[in-house]
Amino acid sequence: MTPSPESNNAVLLSWRNRIREPYIVINAALALIILMVFGYSLIFSPDRNEYPVVCVHEKLTGVPCPSCGLSHSFSLILRGRIAEAYDWNIYGMRIFIFFASQLFMRIVFSSVSLKHPYLEKPLVLYDGTASFILFMVCFMPFLKGILKYL
Amino acid sequence: MEDFSTNNPQNTGLPSGSENNRPAGQTLGIAALITAIVTFVLAVIPCIGIIAMVPAVIAVVLAAIGMSQASRTGASRSLPVAALIIGIVAFMISFSQIFVAGRIGDKFEREWKGDIEKAVEDVQQNVLKDLEDANVNIRIESGGETVEISTDVKKSNRHDELEELEKETPVTDDTIPGVK
Repeated sequence: MTPSPESNNAVLLSWRNRIREPYIVINAALALIILMVFGYSLIFSPDRNEYPVVCVHEKLTGVPCPSCGLSHSFSLILRGRIAEAYDWNIYGMRIFIFFASQLFMRIVFSSVSLKHPYLEKPLVLYDGTASFILFMVCFMPFLKGILKYL
Repeated sequence: MEDFSTNNPQNTGLPSGSENNRPAGQTLGIAALITAIVTFVLAVIPCIGIIAMVPAVIAVVLAAIGMSQASRTGASRSLPVAALIIGIVAFMISFSQIFVAGRIGDKFEREWKGDIEKAVEDVQQNVLKDLEDANVNIRIESGGETVEISTDVKKSNRHDELEELEKETPVTDDTIPGVK
């Protein structure tokens, strides 16, 4: 038995509406931004110091900040040179783990939400809680730095 | 928690699959929330934390417009409100980075600068001490001829040479007769 064109259209419209849900749109946008960060780290080579983003903090104070060398660190991690990445920025790996896990979470949570729309509310709750805890753990050295000088 | 189910066509009363079936202010709310989340992460990174104030302001403005649009039509305001809260927190973190930079700058001027100057002076003294005991060799080759000048600048040797010179030079009496 073949499905009628009307039912096919209904399924298509339902999927189209699901994809346009705010949660899915936000997840897609954040995943795209994370991919752009990884792309930036892959395009610029750590061996040639040509990163366009400069440290505003260092320019203002003349003192390097705890996040200096993060671009180098990301580039090296993506190229598998982990030991060198630690030399450039000791917190590089934990920040990279945050971004990588966020990319994974965006994909997984979006696909679960698309397949099981009734789970969206608890999913958003889990997502928010997990992301917040992950953020606090990964960015704790930077947050401590802010609190120390305030 | 935000209610993300407001985009349901049944809720909006618009035909399913229509391009205009988003409640008023939701598109701006989505844009504001994305901007606010990204800004929040950027604001915590010291290198670029200060410039995160710009997208934080954008997120707050978008959220405010989204909220007013939603209020006018009575649509859900959960997305713009969430964006507004995250945007304001991100702005505050970003703004605090100015004070952090200021404090670090002050500390550098007061404490670390003296330490760095002392370290530079120590290095200079060490270099000068090394130079005092250095041997200098200059070798010039030109047209098959080689001229080699070898000398040392040892401080102890210079002292010896001075003493020898003093011994060799007869002591002259430079007093004027009759004048005491």
